[in-house]
Amino acid sequence: MKSEILYPGAFPMVRVELTAGEHIKAESGAMVACSPTIDIESKMEGGFLGALSRKFLTGEKFFFQTLRASRGPGEALLAPTVPGEIVILELDGVNEYMVQKDGFLAGADGIVIESKMQSLSRGLLSGEGFFILKMSGKGTLVLNSFGAIHKIELKPDQEYIVDNSHLVAWSSTTSYNIEKATSGWIASVTSGEGFVCRFRGPGLVYIQSRNPGSFGAWIRQFIPVSE
Amino acid sequence: MSSNALCFGHNHPASGAPCFVQVDAAGLTIIFESTGGGGDREVVPFAALSVSAGGLDHDHLVVKWTGVQGEQTLYLKDQDAIRAFRQTAPDDLSLHFAQAAELVRQVRQRRRLVWGLALGMFLSTVLGLWFGSDLLVQIAVSRIPVEWEQKLGESAYRDFLAQQEVIKEGPAVAALGEMTQRLTEQIPNNPYKFEITVVKSDVINAFALPGGHVVVFTGLMKKADSGEEVAGVMSHELNHVLRRHGLERIVKSLGLLTVVTIVLGDQQGLVGMMKQLSVELLTLKFGREQETEADVTGLQLLQRAKIDPSGMIKFFERLSEKDEGRMEWLSTHPMSTARAERLKAELAALPKKSPEPFTFDWKQVQASLGAQLVVAP
Repeated sequence: MKSEILYPGAFPMVRVELTAGEHIKAESGAMVACSPTIDIESKMEGGFLGALSRKFLTGEKFFFQTLRASRGPGEALLAPTVPGEIVILELDGVNEYMVQKDGFLAGADGIVIESKMQSLSRGLLSGEGFFILKMSGKGTLVLNSFGAIHKIELKPDQEYIVDNSHLVAWSSTTSYNIEKATSGWIASVTSGEGFVCRFRGPGLVYIQSRNPGSFGAWIRQFIPVSE
Repeated sequence: MSSNALCFGHNHPASGAPCFVQVDAAGLTIIFESTGGGGDREVVPFAALSVSAGGLDHDHLVVKWTGVQGEQTLYLKDQDAIRAFRQTAPDDLSLHFAQAAELVRQVRQRRRLVWGLALGMFLSTVLGLWFGSDLLVQIAVSRIPVEWEQKLGESAYRDFLAQQEVIKEGPAVAALGEMTQRLTEQIPNNPYKFEITVVKSDVINAFALPGGHVVVFTGLMKKADSGEEVAGVMSHELNHVLRRHGLERIVKSLGLLTVVTIVLGDQQGLVGMMKQLSVELLTLKFGREQETEADVTGLQLLQRAKIDPSGMIKFFERLSEKDEGRMEWLSTHPMSTARAERLKAELAALPKKSPEPFTFDWKQVQASLGAQLVVAP
């Protein structure tokens, strides 16, 4: 799987080249265009129960698309639903990434996707929900975000504070705690930050430059309310 | 040789350098794959190492040491490597191992506890609402005065009578009067004044309205083989009234908010709402639990009144058989053999009493209705 980001910025696409017989997983609905040699199948990743749990627990789609170059090599163009940057990660079998539920766009077949339950406090307050996706295995992983993607590199024991709901993905060697944004409860709410995640290295944390929830709240005021 | 660990340090990328960790008696041998060819390899003696647990779920073994290239941190997740490390590590490291393992256990235990508590709270809330709402309904019902109930039943009764032909006197009315008399005598502190109305209709049905109005259709009386059978139905209906089943149904359909209002004492606003509901009373269906309750208490009442309770069971059994005719009583009183069986069992548990017969002759009563006798096969 060779991949390349087209039109980097707010409205990117990924071009994926597949050799004959190769197949990749993609978020259902992600395919924009592809060569006639590629077949699109829908697949319940992780079996029926796995797919069911993913659907209900993480809000991810029930089916993933499988794009299979069954009649010879070809290419496919993939795009996410929301405007925002795309990032390509290479997993080497040792690296593992936690990805927030809307972050997955596509992955090589060697990528293993699991739903993982967070602890109660993280689930309630991190803005990522109780379940996140854990990506492991070997191969290329394509993630998308809302807004631009920023990579934070953390050295061992280095800490960094991220507003929840700006998270896209983080490596499993990093850990995080939920904290109030300011020392007082009231100030935490009025500062507009509420809760934040204190990350602790080593590892990588990918964040998005826009907060989908806040954007939704902002846009809601312009939607006419029907009587 | 595939990597089984990630190494972090100033000389490595922030995402960690994939490496292969080998454990032997001397210590750890770390082989970096990225350098290709010769392969960068570093041997670290156990003495230089410190271990702890780390990572997002505290499921990584974190090994730290200060090497030639400064401070190095190794994140191990591979179970085989961890086991090998644990077995070969010298005693002074084992202590740290135990501490790390203890930490992981604590974290997991705490997480399980928190989830368990959360789940428990959720379940108890659901259960509380489930059972608590029934209790609330009962409390609300008990706070509604009987007079209201009577008013409510009265208006529904008048609505119903407008379209019906009533038999005001004759052997049938007298017979039902006698049954009611004998039954109500056995009800202690009866706040209700039962009024029985016989309606001329071939419908096999009888129903009770809140407050004490009981309507019996002539169809039911023609169908019955004896006075005891009709008395069984009467006893069942009277108990719907006594147990305030109609009111319970109404309060339930009004919703939780109204129930809370009644319980808290504001009953005024309810009158208007209940008036609207009086029409619906006629189509009211009781719940299965209410039916069972009316059955059982009805049976006990028959027993106390010295009316043969087997008439009730017989009648129910006959109705449950496949039958022609418009069996409306069935639509609101689903018959099942299980129901009759239950009553039989209930009857067996009661002390035997010798029944006293009615003063009327049932065949004559039926004849007065102009009955063509339907004899059950």
